Amino acid sequence: MLEQTAAENMEAKLNDEINTIGKSRSLWADAWHRLVQDKIAVSCLIIVGLYALVALLSGLGLIAADWSQEVGPSYAPPFENWDYILGTDLFGRSVLTKVIHGTQVAMSVGLVSSLIAIPIGVALGALAGYFGGWVDEVIVWFYTTVSSIPGIMLLMSIAFILGKGITTVYIALGLTSWVGLCRLIRGEVMKHKNREYVQAASAIGAGHPRKLIKHIIPNVTHIVIIFTSLQFQVAIKSEVILSYLGIGVSGQPSWGTMIDDAKLELAREVWWQLAGATVAMFVVVLAFNILGDALRDALDPKLKGKS
Amino acid sequence: MSDLLNIKNLSVDFNTPHGVVRAVNNVSFDVPMGKTIGLVGESGSGKSVTSLAVMGLIPNPPGEISEGQILFEGKDLVTMPEAQMRKIRGNDIAMIFQEPMTSLNPVFKVGSQIAEVLMLHMGMNPKQAWEKSVDLLNQVGIPNPKASAHKYPHEMSGGQKQRVMIAMAIACEPKLLICDEPTTALDVTIQKQVIDLMFDLQDKYNMGMLFITHDLGVIADIADDVVVMYRSNLVEKNTTKKIFTHASHPYTKGLIACRPALDKNPTRLLTVSDFMDENEKELIVPPERMKKVDKVYKFNEEENPILLEVKDLHVHFPLKGGILGRTVDHFKAVNGVSFKLRKGMTLGLVGESGCGKTTLGRAILRLIEPTAGEVIYNGANITNLDKKQMRAMRSKMQIIFQDPYSSLNPRMTIKDILLEPMDLHNIGANKKEKIEKAKWLMEKVGLNADQLSRYPHEFSGGQRQRICIARALAVSPDFIICDESVSALDVSVQAQVLNLLLDLQEEFGLTYIFISHDLSVVNFISDEVAVMNKGEFVELDKANEVYLRPKQQYTQNLLSAIPKGIPKELLAEQNS
Repeated sequence: MLEQTAAENMEAKLNDEINTIGKSRSLWADAWHRLVQDKIAVSCLIIVGLYALVALLSGLGLIAADWSQEVGPSYAPPFENWDYILGTDLFGRSVLTKVIHGTQVAMSVGLVSSLIAIPIGVALGALAGYFGGWVDEVIVWFYTTVSSIPGIMLLMSIAFILGKGITTVYIALGLTSWVGLCRLIRGEVMKHKNREYVQAASAIGAGHPRKLIKHIIPNVTHIVIIFTSLQFQVAIKSEVILSYLGIGVSGQPSWGTMIDDAKLELAREVWWQLAGATVAMFVVVLAFNILGDALRDALDPKLKGKS
Repeated sequence: MSDLLNIKNLSVDFNTPHGVVRAVNNVSFDVPMGKTIGLVGESGSGKSVTSLAVMGLIPNPPGEISEGQILFEGKDLVTMPEAQMRKIRGNDIAMIFQEPMTSLNPVFKVGSQIAEVLMLHMGMNPKQAWEKSVDLLNQVGIPNPKASAHKYPHEMSGGQKQRVMIAMAIACEPKLLICDEPTTALDVTIQKQVIDLMFDLQDKYNMGMLFITHDLGVIADIADDVVVMYRSNLVEKNTTKKIFTHASHPYTKGLIACRPALDKNPTRLLTVSDFMDENEKELIVPPERMKKVDKVYKFNEEENPILLEVKDLHVHFPLKGGILGRTVDHFKAVNGVSFKLRKGMTLGLVGESGCGKTTLGRAILRLIEPTAGEVIYNGANITNLDKKQMRAMRSKMQIIFQDPYSSLNPRMTIKDILLEPMDLHNIGANKKEKIEKAKWLMEKVGLNADQLSRYPHEFSGGQRQRICIARALAVSPDFIICDESVSALDVSVQAQVLNLLLDLQEEFGLTYIFISHDLSVVNFISDEVAVMNKGEFVELDKANEVYLRPKQQYTQNLLSAIPKGIPKELLAEQNS
């Protein structure tokens, strides 16, 4: 107890001293500066960047557009021929190309589900936290209801209505993952709305929209950034599980459908399709996880070393 | 007289991303047994780092004791292994912090928190330890100690929590007690009680005390010797009496002079910068600056018409109770307050925490809606205005908050902060004109106009408060409420900001309501003073009248609790 308080005291005083030395820099720039000093975080950022690049090129049809083409014999093992370096599947299609196309599916699922979840989560969370009262009660009732339905059931019912396919995965994941963000934003906005800078905005005559959008939301944006990094990996894993269960992506290769295919292949000692998809997924999920933690430390340095 | 603690040539460095910062530079002083040493300095002077070094609590990394010795009863604490240090810490050396709210664990009863210390250090069994902690609570003056030991920290007042902290600190009868601003967060009357208590305990246990504070008033009351630190260096050490009568370093002189007195003051407070320049070279203060003048209360009907009239204002907060959450009672934060304030004058509002002074200020501006009563501003009753009219009204009435750290949006540049009120009230024809006005405002509050593109966290506390003042002035208001606006600042910075407020009042004919718990500050800046207690005005009169001839018992008690800022020996000499 004693030690902790003393250390906190010290930190505040030290920060004061350092601040007077520093140059003109926003808190965002400060956070970026802290992030790039963390070597592991930078490596993860580069990995994520590479995945994004591969996904983009594949999305534009520049690479892996010909994933359905037969390039060699059925079930050719890996590392034997440059044309299908990671081996081939039942139909003689290159596993590498399928992994690359799967990367595009995975990253787009992460991106689109985040793009759906973030506006819903931020808007509802901010409204609930800021206005309180009946607005808060309605929103809290709504998200507790959504979150008390088992996620997989909701996904299956959405898939049932919209039919199978990648669009369903986007919507299903987007509509089920905003609750966590909404809770975080609601709590943070509640904390900020009583801060003196918001009261100062009232005192100069700012109305509710201005106080909320211009003053409070920029101060809770760091939560969105951390959420996005973690949402990506959750979405990627979910897509894999959904596709494996046969209610996700169909008609094109994804890591999930590849793993689904592989369950029959393993009996014939064909392991490369499973390995390719799993390794590709594992690396990017790990990178997003580490990046999420590093972002949290960089954006909120007070938390570091605690909790 | 034997020395308990000798600090010899102590230097502490901190490794930061911007290079090594020396927090303490070659500091030496002693703490004898049974004596109190006052360690004075502003924030960032290195006084707290010094005390943490003695406790062996410098976080490493980034901190490091780079040179020197800390001898406690002849043993060097710097080189001592952590296991041995842990035995000394809490046992022989104990510490009390500023914030009693965060220093106690909220989920344990106070009795068991004290008992834990006793079991850990004195090897007592739980029953003995509990009995002893009840005894300790009794010693520190907690009413009904047996029952109080079963209370949780949130069930106690701030003063009581600080008493519990003291009980914990003295549980093992330490030889040295380090107090880091232990009374800064407390009201004056509570502060006096706590200081008296610490005196008694020091007598009883013959402890050495290291008392760290930025407030020379408290030091004068309590310390035998004073050590003054400035920018990591020890600038002066002497007996308390000598420090107050024959200070040698200009910084010390400035520190003594910048504290407003309760009787007469110069028209503008002296600050440290009057006594020395940036290179710590001594300056000669012109005698006319030093001249103390009596307060004159004068106004004329034409220049100072009544600007604000508050009539029987009430602010009640409902208290919910019962299983259905019905409103069972009301907490009357402001309970029937009436006063008139003339243009260009300052009304000081003093009272202890929880008396309703802050709520009153916010209710006048309708940041909190009043329950009943009228606020008449310039002839118009603003409690009847609708939202839109009220928003337009906000350009006339402004507020400056207490905490310069939380009252500026950390994601906005100073330019955006200053331009926002102008945008809202359509001041200035175009962007260029607005930026010109922002620059002018920066200069008016004594800041560099080139710093507009910076962010709030790049400024010190005093500078941030100046930015808050500039923001309030951006809409050219007539009336400003200063809510504890200087309470979070160091005394020397506080004096500068008070002077600035007075200069601005003179230049723009501003009217202030100045809310503070610090009676000497209120006395310095106000024409009239209202003393508030439990939501009501106890006394409202001209400042001199309230301070020199208080009529109510409550005011008298409040005034007598203020540290005199004069050492005991000197007081005794003056009286004889």
